[in-house]
Amino acid sequence: MTNVVRTPLLSVRQVSKHFGAVEALVGVDLDVHAHEVVALVGDNGAGKSTLAKVIAGVLQPDAGIIERDGVPVTFSSPSAASASGIATVFQDLALCENLDVTANVFLGHELRTSGGLLADGEMERVTRRILQNLTVRIPSVRTPLHHLSGGQRQAVAIARTLIGEPRVVVLDEPTAALSVAQSAEVLTHIQRLRDMGLGVVLISHNMNDVRAVADRVEVLRHGRNNGSFPADVSHESLLAAITGAA
Amino acid sequence: MTAIAGFSDLVTRNLRQSGIFVAFVAIVALFAALNPNFLSPGNLTNIVLQYSYILILAIGMILIIVAGQIDLSVGSVVALTGAVSAVLVIKNGMPWYVGVLAAIVVGLLVGAWQGFWVAFVGIPGFIVTLAGMLLFRGLTYRVLDNVSLSPFGGTYYDIANGFQNGLLGGYGVDTFTLVIFGIAVVGYAVAQWRSRKGRIAYQQVVESMPLFVLKIVAVAAVVMWFGYQLASSRGLPNILILLAILIIVYTLVTQKSVFGRHVYAVGGNLHAAELSGVKVKKINFWIFVNMGFLAAVAGIVYSSRMNGAQPGAGNMFELDAIAACFIGGASTTGGVGRVGGAMIGGLIMAVMSNGMQLMGVPQSIQQVVKGLVLLLAVAFDIWNKRRAAALR
Repeated sequence: MTNVVRTPLLSVRQVSKHFGAVEALVGVDLDVHAHEVVALVGDNGAGKSTLAKVIAGVLQPDAGIIERDGVPVTFSSPSAASASGIATVFQDLALCENLDVTANVFLGHELRTSGGLLADGEMERVTRRILQNLTVRIPSVRTPLHHLSGGQRQAVAIARTLIGEPRVVVLDEPTAALSVAQSAEVLTHIQRLRDMGLGVVLISHNMNDVRAVADRVEVLRHGRNNGSFPADVSHESLLAAITGAA
Repeated sequence: MTAIAGFSDLVTRNLRQSGIFVAFVAIVALFAALNPNFLSPGNLTNIVLQYSYILILAIGMILIIVAGQIDLSVGSVVALTGAVSAVLVIKNGMPWYVGVLAAIVVGLLVGAWQGFWVAFVGIPGFIVTLAGMLLFRGLTYRVLDNVSLSPFGGTYYDIANGFQNGLLGGYGVDTFTLVIFGIAVVGYAVAQWRSRKGRIAYQQVVESMPLFVLKIVAVAAVVMWFGYQLASSRGLPNILILLAILIIVYTLVTQKSVFGRHVYAVGGNLHAAELSGVKVKKINFWIFVNMGFLAAVAGIVYSSRMNGAQPGAGNMFELDAIAACFIGGASTTGGVGRVGGAMIGGLIMAVMSNGMQLMGVPQSIQQVVKGLVLLLAVAFDIWNKRRAAALR
């Protein structure tokens, strides 16, 4: 630890959320800095996805504060969160398979020409630039999504978060349904996000993925913080924190 | 790429859409072979006039179907808007434009009513418009007091029955009609050329140059031939002008506007569209308002063509419009379909009805054939999707 105090890009303080009698999150803390990939791990039902949804503005916390650049914020909707610079890739991807790559990347944020029509040329240019920055290989930005592989779709989902020039990107299980080769590609994209200076929250089940890209690993267990580890933590101690066996 | 490989690529790459086009050409060829009068100038004009209101309805219906909804009420709305117009113009002697405006206002109100229940209360469009089908049919009977009204006559009658002829003179062949068709062909060629240049700039596959030219020439020949037939008959029908404007405007709306893009997104993945900030309720509301507007236009055209309003007008129109969309390649699950496809689908229905009528096929058999065509078209769509999924 150095003495330099950096204000985190995103700071979650003592956030709680319950569904009826079920306590999904209890007093959870999480800090995300620029140029940092924070992995959020835990067993099924540990509260990872709930925390992601709170950060993304899909769910509202029952207690606690969220700070962006040190300023307390409340997100009433996903668009409020994205307006504040937080972009989220959900587990179910939230893409339209019938639309092409460009249309998906710009969905909800379409550029218009002076005549009020879709500025397809400009949108395609931006899309190609973003995909290049992420080192994504896709046949064409005009390919409909249903022609793409799972890894390519994940890449499109990540690319579309970059449209609003976010500061923090939350990825919920980005490699869950992917083959080994495709997972490796997605991990490269995540490293590119960090190189761009963004803060990344990576939610994952896969310990190998986590240790490959994360700078810091935060463990959740039964909706509570259960330890913070450096990236080179041993597999055993991480597993112990996740399962509670110690 | 050789010409033959290029051609087979052109066909397979977009089998769904070229398939429907080939089917259309085949049906036209079949009827032309069976009946020498089928391609006569008079009959071609007739096909356009007879089926125009279904084509207008299909334009609105394709937006509804792409968004994953359905509208069963359009037949009743056609009747209601025509009835309101007839009461004002025929019964109360108002000028023709009052009838037109009133019909459109009624259509917009009907659309807003149905859009409200679908978008803001969250009742499925199927239910809302099933209710609307009964509701607006009942209102039509009330408005007309259970009796037919006729005739409109005058300008109102000319909306659907008039022609633009002799504006630029001609010798038995209307020059004005030919000029309009010429402009259309040039416009088509320019648009195709620009899209081809765009595809080349993005290093996408394009058909080879000879094939491209052949395609343009073939389309131009067919269109100019059709124009010549009209020109040597009664000239350019008003209805065809109206239809052309609607098709161009709605093709732009669906393919080039943010609204259109969002309609496709809502139909493709409602949840994703919502998370992306698409205002799903607003989209659902406006597609129904738009349908109400186009149903009113169809109501005006139909009452004008019939030169009056009947309580039973527009019965089953909704089914013809829906069938046109599905034959034209719209997907039953939403998210897929084009205005152009719906128009081809509608023309297939029109050509089949007209051709079978000319041949004296009984009404009962006509319905059987149309039903089977609809079934086969959707079966083909599903088969095609499975094939595409297997290829992935």
